[in-house]
Amino acid sequence: MSEMWINMGPQHPMTHGLWNLRVKIDGELIVDVDPEMGYLHRGIEKISEDRHYNEVITLMDRTCYVAGLAWEHLYIIASEQALGVETPERAQYIRVMTDEFQRIASHIMWYAAFVQDVGLMSPFLYGMRDRDLVLDLFQSFTGGRLTYEYNRVGGVRNDMPPGFTDRSRKVLDWLMDRFVEYDHLCLGSEIFRRRCDQLGVLRAPDAIALGVTGPMLRGAGVPRDLRKDRPYAVYDRVEFDIATAEAADVTSRYLVRMEEMRQSVRIIRQVLDWLDHHPGPVLAEKLPKWLGAPYAPVGREGYLLRRNYPKGVGFSSVEEPHGEAQAYVVNEGTEHPYRVKFRSPVFANIAACKKYMIGYRVADIPPIMGSVDICVGEVDR
Amino acid sequence: MVTTLYDVAYFLSSSLLDALGTHLPGILGTALTNSGLIWLLAAVIFGAILLGASMINTIMLIWFERKMLGRFMDRRGAMHVGFAGLLQNFADGLKLFRKNTFKPREADALGYYSGPTAYMVTSLLIFGILPISSGWSDGSLPLTLLLALVIFSFAPLFIFVSAWSSNNKYSLLGGMRSAAQMIAYEVPILIAVVAVVVVAGSFDLTTIVNEQQNYWFWGPLFLALVVFVTGMLAEMERIPFDLPEAEAELVEGWNTEYGGMLFAFFMLADYLRALVGSILVVLLFLGGWTLPSYLPAGLTSFPLAGILWFMIKTYLVFGLFVWIRASLPRVRTDQLLRVGWMRMIPLSLLSIVLAVVLVAVRCLPVFGCLPPVGGT
Amino acid sequence: MAASAPPPEKTEENPILWVARPMWTAARQFAKSLVRPSTIIYPFERLEDPKFRDEVQVASGKPIGVGHVWDNYRGVHALNIATCISCNLCAFSCPDVCIEMVTVPGGDPKHPKKCPQIDYGKCSYCGFCSDACPEGCLSMTTRYELSSPKRADLVYSPQKMYEVFQRKLPMSPIRLERPANEDAILLDAPLCIGCNACARDCPTNCITMLDIPKAVAKPGEKLPRRIWKEPVVNDSDCVRCGTCISVCPKECLFWGTHP
Repeated sequence: MSEMWINMGPQHPMTHGLWNLRVKIDGELIVDVDPEMGYLHRGIEKISEDRHYNEVITLMDRTCYVAGLAWEHLYIIASEQALGVETPERAQYIRVMTDEFQRIASHIMWYAAFVQDVGLMSPFLYGMRDRDLVLDLFQSFTGGRLTYEYNRVGGVRNDMPPGFTDRSRKVLDWLMDRFVEYDHLCLGSEIFRRRCDQLGVLRAPDAIALGVTGPMLRGAGVPRDLRKDRPYAVYDRVEFDIATAEAADVTSRYLVRMEEMRQSVRIIRQVLDWLDHHPGPVLAEKLPKWLGAPYAPVGREGYLLRRNYPKGVGFSSVEEPHGEAQAYVVNEGTEHPYRVKFRSPVFANIAACKKYMIGYRVADIPPIMGSVDICVGEVDR
Repeated sequence: MVTTLYDVAYFLSSSLLDALGTHLPGILGTALTNSGLIWLLAAVIFGAILLGASMINTIMLIWFERKMLGRFMDRRGAMHVGFAGLLQNFADGLKLFRKNTFKPREADALGYYSGPTAYMVTSLLIFGILPISSGWSDGSLPLTLLLALVIFSFAPLFIFVSAWSSNNKYSLLGGMRSAAQMIAYEVPILIAVVAVVVVAGSFDLTTIVNEQQNYWFWGPLFLALVVFVTGMLAEMERIPFDLPEAEAELVEGWNTEYGGMLFAFFMLADYLRALVGSILVVLLFLGGWTLPSYLPAGLTSFPLAGILWFMIKTYLVFGLFVWIRASLPRVRTDQLLRVGWMRMIPLSLLSIVLAVVLVAVRCLPVFGCLPPVGGT
Repeated sequence: MAASAPPPEKTEENPILWVARPMWTAARQFAKSLVRPSTIIYPFERLEDPKFRDEVQVASGKPIGVGHVWDNYRGVHALNIATCISCNLCAFSCPDVCIEMVTVPGGDPKHPKKCPQIDYGKCSYCGFCSDACPEGCLSMTTRYELSSPKRADLVYSPQKMYEVFQRKLPMSPIRLERPANEDAILLDAPLCIGCNACARDCPTNCITMLDIPKAVAKPGEKLPRRIWKEPVVNDSDCVRCGTCISVCPKECLFWGTHP
């Protein structure tokens, strides 16, 4: 059979989200791949320029719909820098906790989608079930299950409800048992190992050259983790290890993510202990005037613009579940950010796909692409 | 004593014709009763009963899988239509039946329409020759096992025809995978069946079941059972081997372009084949409708007991398939073919050797002491 | 680099162990959920039902509905029309511009009472409006089912949200701790013409017009007798809605801090 292009997407079970992977196949062999992104572009960066600093947070939850709190954190760090706002310590700890919970939720979501790609049916449901527990926790203090709108410039919206830490510890204990079960279903299965070992190999030099970050980079043996390398929030005050694996294949990415979830549990336990003993404000006392209220009570007619606020620029990079995300916020002295720019880790991870897909078979496309952990929302923004 | 199903059909047709003949005048009546029409009508009734029974069984099989898979996945499965969702699949079937059947513009009409139809018909055909109880078949067909497997192996042709003619790249890939896979796994299945034939001494399924009076064949022929079940999984395209319709990469494989009733044909035929596979496992290795003799005789003495136990065994075997589906990932094409040609065929050959040795040294009765001890 | 050769074989294991562990795990889950699956039968059972409110440990080990998860949920708004002061803050704070202030009956005919009307086709349930509400009359409830065959049904009028309010659904116990707002309405006095528009439209009636002599007659000059009035804002009652600023015809009111 001669070579032919097939479109995997934009409407295809392999694509988790809305994107298109064009694959040139020779029989069952992949000869060439060509990712096409942009189907989900919503212009979030542009819309941000027309919103108040706090209102952009609603967009952040929709940027990556499985890691909303991590993206909120990313944006909030940058905008706090741009506005020159100090955050209370307790809010920093809460953000670390939400980040790690979000990492667990996102990785469980990844696990569910990934095993579905490999062909395992029931762990998908297990993953969704267990993720629900984390979402329950989120709901108990943010009020949302997917779009949280929890962070505010200068802190977080509200403190934890009473009894939250005990409930979290219960959920964490339960999740740790489930992680063992996940490993039994995947690593304990010879078929799974044969599907995924030595698959989608992306070695460290290529990964670094192509800007690949996150579990894909750590799966190639590079101990790069912003939480350690450039600690933000209070990550320098909690103990954890960077999860790495050597094989640079799909299995090693699986291993990295599983280990990261366990490390997240470790971090959350430390943070919960801290939160138990250090009550305090969660929102900064000294906020810029128009942020003193939850949001600026100003109209859109612009009659506030005559005031001059201090200008500034904020940059942040956060180790979100998919990799290193970066945000750049320019404050030109108005209530709206002058410019907001995000760097999505998944975009770089997908764009490197020629390096780790060519030469494998059609049946390998879903596991390889599943191991990238694609969130198209943040790719296209 | 249970009469054969054909006897029932014959009785129905003859009484119907008699009733008609007495009311018709003179020569016409006698012609009606004495002509070969009675055989034709009996065959039609026989087929109708078979069709109804197998379709209802198939749909119940889907229900069974949905419920069981649901519990494996920590959920409940269909539960609102009918008691515990029993009627859900009938409702789904009705919905598919009411849907418009369409053909992609570039698809080849002949292949597109005849593929699923032939697939369905050949899958149904097997039920005509499968004995499911002691009184079902009188043994007049000496080669039922062979015939069943031959009909079973028609499928790749029709799948490939329908995949090719639907003019879709996914379908074509799925069809090629399906053909390769089915052909690769038919060989070990046939060889494993030969081991059963060697021990039982007959190609007739009724005889094979009767030969399992003292010991079911799963004990002595365990290797053949493993090969047969694995091969059947591949033939049924169930999950470790469901590459032809691997939904993650090929949208629905060879039936991507099908919708409505044509899709229902594929779906039903798939489950028909799963039913046939389970029935064959029960017939060849698990003693068919018999029960171990140490169980009280009351369990098998009531009417239709044979069918009941047979169906229970069949559903349990299918449950095993569902269990496998719930817990294993999909293999890759090259791995599948490698396992087929390089593991399954040597294993099946080995099972023949074992069977021959067992028969030659006459040590088969040793298995008579193993549970379950056969006999009705 | 991507390997073009087929992946090397994994270490051979006993074929029985091949699938034994995942199958055993799945079977254990099967046995657990045979007793009781983790799912709830949604239209008949809901997570916000009282029986799921307390910690329920089901057979499969899932603690469903850990605590009062649902009290804090951000669902359909409830509006207490009686306490609404028409301050417009919810509409201001809405990032999606889905809140429109519409006239409700029962107000002064000259200055009709306006309450928020929310288009749930646009709403993103961020909760900024209920956080902004100074009187606590707009809050979010646990109601989340609002599917409808018509798009127009998604526009909830104040009356409809008042019906939601009357159901007494649980509402979020978490109220935002508002930091002290130092913003105040300041007056650019020379521009003021004393038109009374700000005091008339102030939702909290915290603006009073005080007499201030505008000009002093020079000796020998006779001025027409005229009392000039100037708005004075009572900062403790002010909710910082900015209505006065937007109605001021001379743009003489502005945000600032007291010197």
